[in-house]
Amino acid sequence: MNIFERMQKLDRRWIYIVVALAIIIPLMIPYDSDNVATPPTENLYQMIDSFAGREDRAILMSFYHDAATMPELFPMEVAILRHCFERNVKVFTLTWFPAGAPIIDYAINSVKEEFPDIQSGVDYCNFGYKPQAFAMVLGMGDNIANTMNTDAEGRKLENLPIMKGINNYSEMNLAIEFSGSSAGGMWITYARPKYGLNVAVGVTAVMAADMYPYLQSGQLIGMLSGLKGAAEYEKLVDIFAAYRDPKIDYSIKVDEDGNQILPGRPFGREILEDDSSKKLSLITTQTKAKFSMDEFAAFSAKYPENMALLNSLRSLEDDMVIIDVTQITPEQRSQMGETMYRELDRLTRNTLYKFKVARIGMNAQSVAHIMIIVFIVLGNIGYFIQKARQAKN
Amino acid sequence: MKKTIPLLIVILGGLIWVAWAFSPHYILQEVFYNQFYLPWAYASSPFAMLLGVLSLTMMHSNKIKTRGPKWQYSYFFFGSFIITCLAGFIGGIQKGSLFMWMFENVQMPMSATMFSLLAFYMASAAYKAFRARSPEATVLLVAAIVVMLAQVPLGVQISKHLPSISQWILDVPNLASKRGIMLGVGLGSVATSLKILLGIERSYLGGGD
Amino acid sequence: MSFELFSNLVGAFFTLCIFSFLYKDNPFYQAAEQMLVGISLGYGLVYTYNRVFVPYVWQTIVIKHQFVLIIPAIMGILYLFRFSRKLGWLSRYPIAFSMMGVGMGVPMGIHASILVQMRQAMVPIESVNLFLIFIGTIAVLLYFFFSKAHSGAYGKFVNVGKWYMMIGFGASFGLTVMARISLLIGRIQFLVNDVFGILK
Repeated sequence: MNIFERMQKLDRRWIYIVVALAIIIPLMIPYDSDNVATPPTENLYQMIDSFAGREDRAILMSFYHDAATMPELFPMEVAILRHCFERNVKVFTLTWFPAGAPIIDYAINSVKEEFPDIQSGVDYCNFGYKPQAFAMVLGMGDNIANTMNTDAEGRKLENLPIMKGINNYSEMNLAIEFSGSSAGGMWITYARPKYGLNVAVGVTAVMAADMYPYLQSGQLIGMLSGLKGAAEYEKLVDIFAAYRDPKIDYSIKVDEDGNQILPGRPFGREILEDDSSKKLSLITTQTKAKFSMDEFAAFSAKYPENMALLNSLRSLEDDMVIIDVTQITPEQRSQMGETMYRELDRLTRNTLYKFKVARIGMNAQSVAHIMIIVFIVLGNIGYFIQKARQAKN
Repeated sequence: MKKTIPLLIVILGGLIWVAWAFSPHYILQEVFYNQFYLPWAYASSPFAMLLGVLSLTMMHSNKIKTRGPKWQYSYFFFGSFIITCLAGFIGGIQKGSLFMWMFENVQMPMSATMFSLLAFYMASAAYKAFRARSPEATVLLVAAIVVMLAQVPLGVQISKHLPSISQWILDVPNLASKRGIMLGVGLGSVATSLKILLGIERSYLGGGD
Repeated sequence: MSFELFSNLVGAFFTLCIFSFLYKDNPFYQAAEQMLVGISLGYGLVYTYNRVFVPYVWQTIVIKHQFVLIIPAIMGILYLFRFSRKLGWLSRYPIAFSMMGVGMGVPMGIHASILVQMRQAMVPIESVNLFLIFIGTIAVLLYFFFSKAHSGAYGKFVNVGKWYMMIGFGASFGLTVMARISLLIGRIQFLVNDVFGILK
């Protein structure tokens, strides 16, 4: 048996080992890479961001999947929840599957850990598992509180502060459905024509290609497709919603003109295309907060009582002031206070693991895709050479 | 007679539903939908779950009785089913209960792993079965390779035009073919729904008299 | 050993039981598979009881005294007669009740999947891409119209639809590869990070 025949007859278990290694090794060695954001993701981001800080707008997230598709859909859900909690967007969550209920709890609890001020019933509301999806989808177009009645914890909706200003789809104006199959079908077919609801979907990549007609017709305003969509959204959240300007004091909620001061910053294409924004969405662990001279002056002006401590921690590098958070001792941390420490930690632009899961996964995805392409090419080469030999014989 | 009344229910009820889709009249929207259909749909739906339970129970108990292939594993089914039900009915379904612990740490990992096996099978198929036997198959493979490369961060490093080529493939030929297929499927499903509505299609009633 | 680590180890054990099938079919995989079915069924049953039966059947009939709902409850029980040879015809009633909704599916389905898509396919052809989409949509639709033979010039035009579909399926395949690998990445991330704590 020559080499090509042996190649064709290779035991599939060797292939399985190569696949496993191609995924394990990149996951254990994180490196920075860039996920280019596509228009469907950017449109969804901008729509959600337009609800920032508004009492009369909310989004609804429908977790229409079970644990099997979590690796693709869970990072998307976490990224959107993080966006909403950063930018003060009201969120409602529900699921039509009993198996989806624990997933909602996982997602909310995992994001809520980093936002101690976020409260259930005020900033978000979980409806939990609701049966009879069709009836609920139509009923919410008339009145959400009457249709849903209670949230997952059994509280009556009309008594919850989050419902102030939210009646039906005119206010809860965006529904995002996460599903591994038939995502958004019910919303597009029933809720959108009747009530004008905006619909977006987060789908596994299998379904993504089938959704493009709906995107082009405007029936879907945006789409996150698979792990890549989740990685793109995570990057947008890091660059915009999670961005903190060292000069701004975020503890003040309203400025002198009466405008709301919201954390983060709005979407801007020039910021996205600028090279410096790449440093805001790195996957590797970052420990150094970098300031320009002006930024450092403005930052230390916010904490005049800790000026000496800041000066003792700072170092200079290429005209930038650097503060390494790993150098802060526990005594120094208690001296500066939790608020200042958290802000310094934020300014390192370090992303927690749970908020960069999709981007780490995309690195492994790169290697895996190259591997599959190599398999296809090798298989075809072996096949054609063997065919040519057989034809010669 | 045994088929006629259900058929009449579907036809008459279906026609009322068609009217519901077009008319905002109080009798249709409030009386028919909110006061009749919704509470009746909620009240009749939970029993469908018992159908699944009965079906699986019958299948596994038959297997044990007749000593079918791998009959011993049916005991695992019954054991896990009974323990889950007891944990749920007695212990409650709140977070932290044994019921939820079993679901989150046994069912969820296994269900996710079942799906992840597909990645291995697909890699094996990529090596052994995906052959560019004809020009059409070659075009399919080339399109697939372009899209695959453009999805990953490495694609941008290979060529900065790759993401826009891939986006073009998704936005133009892919969109056209999926739209054509979607229109065909939509026409087919509307035709089937009309046939059910008019009583021509009766397969949902099952066989027999 | 913390409770969380113990829970993760249990999850990892069952994960590896399922993965063991890749090497060879074995008793661990068979047992794990049956347990998966059993727990899923039990979970569905308990959840349906707590979230559907109790609030919408029990409480409405017994506590709110809406006795008319006994009729749909009995109709729901008729589902179970599907297994009986003599009384199987009774199960047609609840099926007929749920199939009534198809009447609303017709106009809504025509609107969302046909009319809106048709409207978007009939936009003014202002760019090359729109022209290509227009040609492609018609060619693909005609490809499935088998009442006319695909021969001559008509056959050549319809063949264009086949090429469009090949590119479309190629794109779907590329995305499917990404989807399947993502599922495996999720599992490996669980094993590498949550269980062995190698990366946090």
